Amino acid sequence: MFELNAYLPILLMFVVAIVFAVGNVALSQVVGQRKQTRTKLMPYECGKDPVGSARERFSVKFYLIAMIFILFDIELIFLMPWAVVFRTLVTNGLGTLVYVEMMLFVALLLVGYVYVLKKGLFNWSESARREAEAEGRVLAEMDSRRQAQRAPVTRAA
Amino acid sequence: MIPLSWYLALSAVLFTIGAAGVIIKRNAISMFMCIELMLNAVNLTFVAFSSHFNDVTGQLFVFIVMAVAASEAAVGLGIIIAIFRNRESLDVDEASILKL
Amino acid sequence: MNLSLAFQLMAQPDVNFALILPEVIVSIAGVLVMMVDAFSRRADQRWATGGLSLAGLLGAAGACLWLWSGGAGERVTAFNGMVVLDRLRLSFTLVFIIVSALTVLISMIWVERERLPAGEFHSLLLFATAGMMLMASGGDLVIVFLGLEVLSIATYVMAGFRRTDTRSNESSLKYFILGSFSSAFLLYGIALVYGGTAVNTPGGISAGTTNISEIAARLDDGMYPPLIFAGAAMMLVGFGFKIATAPFHVWTPDVYEGAPTPVTAFMAAGPKAAGFAAFMRVFLFAFPFAVAATGTATSAQVHAAWLGALSVIAILTMTVGNVVALVQRNVKRMLAYSSIAHAGYALVGFVAAGATGDATQQSDAVAAVVFYLLAYALMNLGAFAVVTMIARGGDRRTEIEDYYGIGFRAPVLSFALSIFLLSLLGVPLTAGFMGKVVVFREALSQGFASGNQLLVALVVIGVLNTAVSVYYYLGLIVAMFFRERTTEWSAPRVPASISVTLALTVLGVFYLGIFPGRVIDAFRSVQTTAVTRLK
Repeated sequence: MFELNAYLPILLMFVVAIVFAVGNVALSQVVGQRKQTRTKLMPYECGKDPVGSARERFSVKFYLIAMIFILFDIELIFLMPWAVVFRTLVTNGLGTLVYVEMMLFVALLLVGYVYVLKKGLFNWSESARREAEAEGRVLAEMDSRRQAQRAPVTRAA
Repeated sequence: MIPLSWYLALSAVLFTIGAAGVIIKRNAISMFMCIELMLNAVNLTFVAFSSHFNDVTGQLFVFIVMAVAASEAAVGLGIIIAIFRNRESLDVDEASILKL
Repeated sequence: MNLSLAFQLMAQPDVNFALILPEVIVSIAGVLVMMVDAFSRRADQRWATGGLSLAGLLGAAGACLWLWSGGAGERVTAFNGMVVLDRLRLSFTLVFIIVSALTVLISMIWVERERLPAGEFHSLLLFATAGMMLMASGGDLVIVFLGLEVLSIATYVMAGFRRTDTRSNESSLKYFILGSFSSAFLLYGIALVYGGTAVNTPGGISAGTTNISEIAARLDDGMYPPLIFAGAAMMLVGFGFKIATAPFHVWTPDVYEGAPTPVTAFMAAGPKAAGFAAFMRVFLFAFPFAVAATGTATSAQVHAAWLGALSVIAILTMTVGNVVALVQRNVKRMLAYSSIAHAGYALVGFVAAGATGDATQQSDAVAAVVFYLLAYALMNLGAFAVVTMIARGGDRRTEIEDYYGIGFRAPVLSFALSIFLLSLLGVPLTAGFMGKVVVFREALSQGFASGNQLLVALVVIGVLNTAVSVYYYLGLIVAMFFRERTTEWSAPRVPASISVTLALTVLGVFYLGIFPGRVIDAFRSVQTTAVTRLK
């Protein structure tokens, strides 16, 4: 039957946790002194002055990556038990079958990965990359021009 | 040991909360979360039976349900993003071009 | 954990890939289509992926026929009872393959017109088909559930395939929310049955089961009969949503109207048939007619309960579908309600199959339902092929007004649509008529044999409903041929793929309507010697 006694420590832990948390907050309310300055009322952001609104919108790409992550992540729940019992299965003479089947499963996952890769899901932003490359080219050009300018000077010197 | 019936009651309550949420909530994400709640209530039932009877079948079922729930989540979020791109709102009452 | 038992089971893992060959072929074809999609330019994808899909489906059909020729219809299982081979599975598998192949043909013109990625569409279609096949072949509730989810997830995406169209988005969202809602119900039912079928044996408590035939064997000894009742009820609701029966049908018209027309054609024919396959598999074999049991035994009570509930659902489904279809002004919505009504007619055959304990009679009734669904699939796909052509870009012209006066200006389309509508109505010489005849005949013969008044009542209501449906089916034909059109209209050019679809479906409708005997005989598990009892 149901023995409540077994759960007494857990109950105690809950009680202690609640008392500690509530008690500390209450204590600081009662004992602590309050002096409100401008700096203290500012939102706290790791010691820096806050920049912009905290409710910024994220690029939809984050969600796409998150979705893909969930899909590949959850497959682990099939790999995990397989790995745990694999040795036992080998001793039962099922090693080859079970190994091949799991490799098939992984190969199917790989197909999915290749698909999203080819579909360009991981190209975060084609245009951003092109801009970065263009910028890099400009910088390199400027560099070489500067060197070309400096070169006669050094020769003269 | 907590008796089996407590787990079953808890999962029934969770399932009911989820089902009620799907019917009451008007935001697509909330409705979707309620569906996940229903699925997890089912998982609780499976695990409770599985552990009560010392049988792995129920836990295997839970694995499969989790994988299915994840793929449903991916597809569901994809659909919701597509809607959001087109109409900038997730309120299902506004999704009413198709009359009921 | 009882791992040692699991290992003992695993020691003979009963692997038999030949038995799941159709599913394997379709899945591989789906993966190949995905790869073609990923590695080729979008412009030349359409024919490659379409052809590959058709080849895969053809291969699966070949495998299916090979399995068919291998056995006389007795039940074979593999993978420790996870997969079943019997006539119910094979006949449904053929229906799914036909539906998918026709959908590929219909979609060819559509993906080009709407500039959609053909590869994605075709691979989703193939995965959905694999899911449907798994639903029909599942010998265990796990497989049935997995098949259902593979099908549903692919179909959610297909419903929202025109991403920039808000109607398509909405349709997809509604289908997704209500579909996963119903999946949760089904799953809860499975969990409760799993718990309820635990048995107290002399050697200790034996855990519950999710194997369909095991469930049937344990019904009377189950430790928690109320859980079995609740589980069966939950599963009834879950499947009821999937095949759009009356109290659970509200999503259907919205989803069918908003989804792209070829997808609607597929959804009304394929997933509905798959839902029937799984529904029948689970309820006919997990909660069967209890021959020897007394009236108070759990098995007898569960059977009586679901049969009664299903009869009421059948009546509601037929009536609601037909009556609400009367007032629809949008052709896709009208066909959606008509699909609800047709699910109701098919349920009559299901009830007949459930009401008998005789294996031969039951397989006859099941064969009648499969025949009905095949007939419905053909005429429905044909009708939606025409609707796709008339709707033009963006599926905009689907109101009845858009069909005014097109009769003699687009004779091929309008005559084909008229044939399909007459078949949906159930005019003699068409598949729809024969389907209704075989389903109602099974119900009547069993109703009279067992004195079950309910079955007779179901048939009477079915016939009355058919009379109601005359109004809206003929209304559309009248609109096409006898109404004046005030706006400009030019007939759309009918491309080759649609012509082939129309030719195949018209031929199919007449073949099933005039020579139904061979098909029905093939669908029966117990082979009767080439007797067509219909003639």
